[in-house]
Amino acid sequence: MITTGKTRLRAVFIGTLLGLGACVADAMAFESPQDGVYTDRIDWGMTADMSGPASAAQAPWGHGFQTAIKAINEKGGVNGRKINVLTEDTRYDATVERVAYDKFVSQTPTLGTSGMGNSSAQTALVPLIKRNKLPVIGTYTTAKVAIDPPTPYFYGGFCGFKEMAQVGIGFFTDHLKLQSPKVALVHLDVASGKEYSSYVEAAVTARGGTVKSIPIKVVAADATPQVLEILAMKPDYVAIHGVPTTAILVIKAMKQYGIDVPAFAITYLGTPGVYENLGPDAGKNYYFVSCFSPASSDPKAAAEMAAAADKAGFGPLKDDINFVAGWVVGTTVAQAIAKVGAEPTREKLADMLNAGFTANTSGLSSELKYTAADHEGLHGLKPLNYDYSAKAFKSYGDYKDFDKYLK
Amino acid sequence: MLSQFIFSGLALGSIYGLVALGFTVIYKATQVFNFAQGMLMVCGAYFAVTASIHLGLPFPLTIAFILVGAGILGIAIYFLLIKPLGGQALLPMIMITIALSIILRAVIELIYGGAPLTLRLPLPSGVFVLGDVRISQLHVTAAVVSWLCMLLFIVFFRRSRAGLLMRATADGYEAAVLSGIRVDRINAAAWAIGTMLAAIGGVFLCQLQLVSVELENIGLLALPAVVIGGLQSVPGAILGGLLVGLIEQLASGYISPKARDIFIYVPLLLILFIRPWGLFGQKELGRV
Repeated sequence: MITTGKTRLRAVFIGTLLGLGACVADAMAFESPQDGVYTDRIDWGMTADMSGPASAAQAPWGHGFQTAIKAINEKGGVNGRKINVLTEDTRYDATVERVAYDKFVSQTPTLGTSGMGNSSAQTALVPLIKRNKLPVIGTYTTAKVAIDPPTPYFYGGFCGFKEMAQVGIGFFTDHLKLQSPKVALVHLDVASGKEYSSYVEAAVTARGGTVKSIPIKVVAADATPQVLEILAMKPDYVAIHGVPTTAILVIKAMKQYGIDVPAFAITYLGTPGVYENLGPDAGKNYYFVSCFSPASSDPKAAAEMAAAADKAGFGPLKDDINFVAGWVVGTTVAQAIAKVGAEPTREKLADMLNAGFTANTSGLSSELKYTAADHEGLHGLKPLNYDYSAKAFKSYGDYKDFDKYLK
Repeated sequence: MLSQFIFSGLALGSIYGLVALGFTVIYKATQVFNFAQGMLMVCGAYFAVTASIHLGLPFPLTIAFILVGAGILGIAIYFLLIKPLGGQALLPMIMITIALSIILRAVIELIYGGAPLTLRLPLPSGVFVLGDVRISQLHVTAAVVSWLCMLLFIVFFRRSRAGLLMRATADGYEAAVLSGIRVDRINAAAWAIGTMLAAIGGVFLCQLQLVSVELENIGLLALPAVVIGGLQSVPGAILGGLLVGLIEQLASGYISPKARDIFIYVPLLLILFIRPWGLFGQKELGRV
């Protein structure tokens, strides 16, 4: 049989198409319901305090995560499958977090889960995470016990408390040209608060300074007792751990008592809502340290996120550090699933991350990298505050400029 | 430092007293132990958000909107939930108010979302300096408005015809009905006033921090205030609120924030054991 070159080319083309079609069909045929993987979708769990005392910070995170996944699904999903997010509102309740986790493990199995923003719950769940082998990727808080040493199947997704303390203390001590800083630390009396307190103490002591820990309740109506302690101590600067209300109460009370020293807060409290509530007078001396960049501090890097946020109806949140964090985790999860290939399972996902995985966060965060020895992911941070006249967040350098403080 | 704690405690206590007064008004009129009082306070904060942010009303109209909204809410609660179950035992009535609180929370979260909101009303935000004591102008405003509301209510309760009818109804339901008093109107008015007082408290609390359903946890401090002061006593509710505010500040300041609850609820337990009708309440006498 004689064939022309054109006919042969056509045959090769059709054969290739058929081959590709067969591969896609094969991939689409793959199902692993016990891993939350189906022919047309992948189920993924998300827990966040969408209501409750921590919702001012965590609800924007949840919206950021959902917006990222929605944007990815609109582009066709991951390897031909849509990601179906199963959301559980944990309402700042460790027991609800536990119930939600169990649900994702076996009742409505998911390929993995993200969020888990209650540090006390996370600490308690570490043994279960090891045993149940459900990857927890991109947590909203990273408890020390979960990453030091690395817990199998656990991968952080937020700036670490240790790094927040080191960069915050390092920057303000140098910025204010202090030899031995006197630092007042206001913190919630929860696992993460105690952990942060120990890191602040270590960072201040390393610089020959002194620190006073001042606890506050999450549902406090007033911060007068805490601020009077600050007044008596006369610190060089103040460190704040808590929820947005904590920062508002403390900074407002500091202004009331004429305490004119800078204060820096953990990443979670660097939201437009806090600055808006404080106003320019009180807010000008309020900083936070972050491994994420709010949209207004780097509009170029945030262009895609900002457009997706506007489209999803979350436009006002794009400058919220927590929304950015949720977006970064959402895109990281999608990239990780994509890298595993057409037949993802929980086991393969964890193996891939342990082999070394770097997410492309488009400049919205410092480097996010997981290895077998490092499950924390994010390390670099920078100080920021809000420029009321420009109505934009302002960062005090690049992440790398502050690596010198990390130990 | 002590004087500072006392001033802050009295300012916060005034807000608690206002919410507690609303609680007492409702209890005196309808004998309902209203566990939804904290959430009615939250509703006040969200009425302010609606008026000021969503409707863009000027401040005086915002206040009017809050008061009218709270009044209508109180009347609706009475006619839809309380009146149909009038005469029921204590437990079903308590369960109704707990359910009401849960429903109101869910409705607010559905309408406004779960995330807290920022509301800046044109209220004073500076500081008065008196010697070593620095007093927040917002605290002073909250205390002054609370006291004015309390005073206004006491005058209304003691001097007006409606107040007289309200007292008559509270003292003897059957006698009031037999005398031709339109008890439903009186009770609905009591719920409206109680809700309005709670709403004013909510407006001040949300100025101290954020507008959130979690303000309910702070508003619920009105419950120990009324139990300590006396469920049936108007001055008792006010003084109970002040006492709770003072205890909160002193315990948090001198011991620990966690000590606050111990120092509020241990006296409450002692009072329930020794003088269940409260410090300023009257012992109820049963006739055989």
